[in-house]
Amino acid sequence: MVDQKKLVEVAKETLARKDVKYIIGYKKGSYGFQTSAAFAYTPKDVEEFIFTPLCNKNLAKYPLKEEKLPLKRGEEEDKRKIGIVVKGCDSRAIVQIIQENGMKREEVVLIGIPCPGVIDQKEIEKRFPNQSEITEIDEINDEYVFTVEGKEHKIPKQELLAEVCKTCGYPNPVLYDVMIGEEVEVNPKAEYEGIKKLEEATLENRWEYWEKQFQRCIRCYACREACPLCYCSTCMADLLEPQWIRRSVNLSENTAWNIMRAYHLAGRCVGCGACENACPMDIPLMELNKKLGEEVKEMFEYTPGLDIDAKPLLGSFNPDDPEEFIK
Amino acid sequence: MEDFEPNIIGFLCNWCSYAGADLAGTSRIQYSHNVKVIRVMCSGRVNPMFVINALQQGADGVLIGGCHPGDCHYQHGNYLARRRISVMKKLLEFMGINPERVKMAWVSAAEGRKFADVVDEVTEEIRKLGPNTKIRRKNEW
Repeated sequence: MVDQKKLVEVAKETLARKDVKYIIGYKKGSYGFQTSAAFAYTPKDVEEFIFTPLCNKNLAKYPLKEEKLPLKRGEEEDKRKIGIVVKGCDSRAIVQIIQENGMKREEVVLIGIPCPGVIDQKEIEKRFPNQSEITEIDEINDEYVFTVEGKEHKIPKQELLAEVCKTCGYPNPVLYDVMIGEEVEVNPKAEYEGIKKLEEATLENRWEYWEKQFQRCIRCYACREACPLCYCSTCMADLLEPQWIRRSVNLSENTAWNIMRAYHLAGRCVGCGACENACPMDIPLMELNKKLGEEVKEMFEYTPGLDIDAKPLLGSFNPDDPEEFIK
Repeated sequence: MEDFEPNIIGFLCNWCSYAGADLAGTSRIQYSHNVKVIRVMCSGRVNPMFVINALQQGADGVLIGGCHPGDCHYQHGNYLARRRISVMKKLLEFMGINPERVKMAWVSAAEGRKFADVVDEVTEEIRKLGPNTKIRRKNEW
């Protein structure tokens, strides 16, 4: 587990640097099994920082979402850096954003945390639906230890670990300035649950499955808001001229939206699972993302979010790309 | 199913496929009338969402025509289109929408005969697949 004291200490040191504006980290949530993002401007704010198995949010998007007010006359732009506490997936998201010129490397300071995996929030909330008090979870010897309604629970790690973390190949930050603690071992499960079953099914059965899923979509766009790589200032889904997808909630438009979302993440998705975690209707969005990731890896030998100098997948080409499908 | 006439949208690149279609016309080659052609400046102009929107709005299939690799008027637009469409086809397949509804062909300006053959072939294949019902927009009000 990550040493909390070390985290606070390193964050304080980073904040004390003259060129750092503030640090984004995790703090306790307001209820239940939540954690929320913390923005620390002073050493006192940093004291709140935690890192527990509940820190499943992806913080990589916040620097891009910062509100930039118009400057007053004579005022100079604040060009100081933003510190971010990053897990493996957050750091990959940042690499991907830098690669796409979404931000510059010198705009951020990364405090890396080797991530032992985070809890599937939906699963734990399903098991303890009435928990409203703030719960702290410790990871001891491959077991999660926490207290709910005065009773101590010990649950094996594999039961609660998020599916994306079981298959995660990069738990250690790929890009960082300071690293806290030792690197963790990489031991991913090869298969993402659900994909294989669908791959074996016929075309009709697959459509039946997805039809059921997409019919439930309420088009709240929470998946888009949570995704660290959906950072376009104007999303195609919000445009009225041209209107790529209509706003009505029905199967056709929901499918079009989900195709669009998944497609825009092809060769970009870093597999943090933020979209699925944010989905209020429990649509298995990560199955689409993971499947496309696998296909992209197979066809073009490309893994997103590892190299800031790599070229974006769909913005580049290789003359020898597969073309059996072309007449 | 015998009298089903498929509705196919063709996105043809201005420099090769569209000229190829032109040549097929001026050469008076007979071919299926099912492909409705939209001229685009390059196959790289075809946003994969065009394909989805066509399927939503009642097309049974989509044909994208571009220059042969290396012949693109804009150097490499067709290479980019090739990547995009191959990823889109994989996604459609995983979602259970038949990826065979999306076709791609390299047709040069000199290949009027090939264009006619491609259109005939695509029409027959889509005819076999039957009407597209899966993501078609329904007017429900």
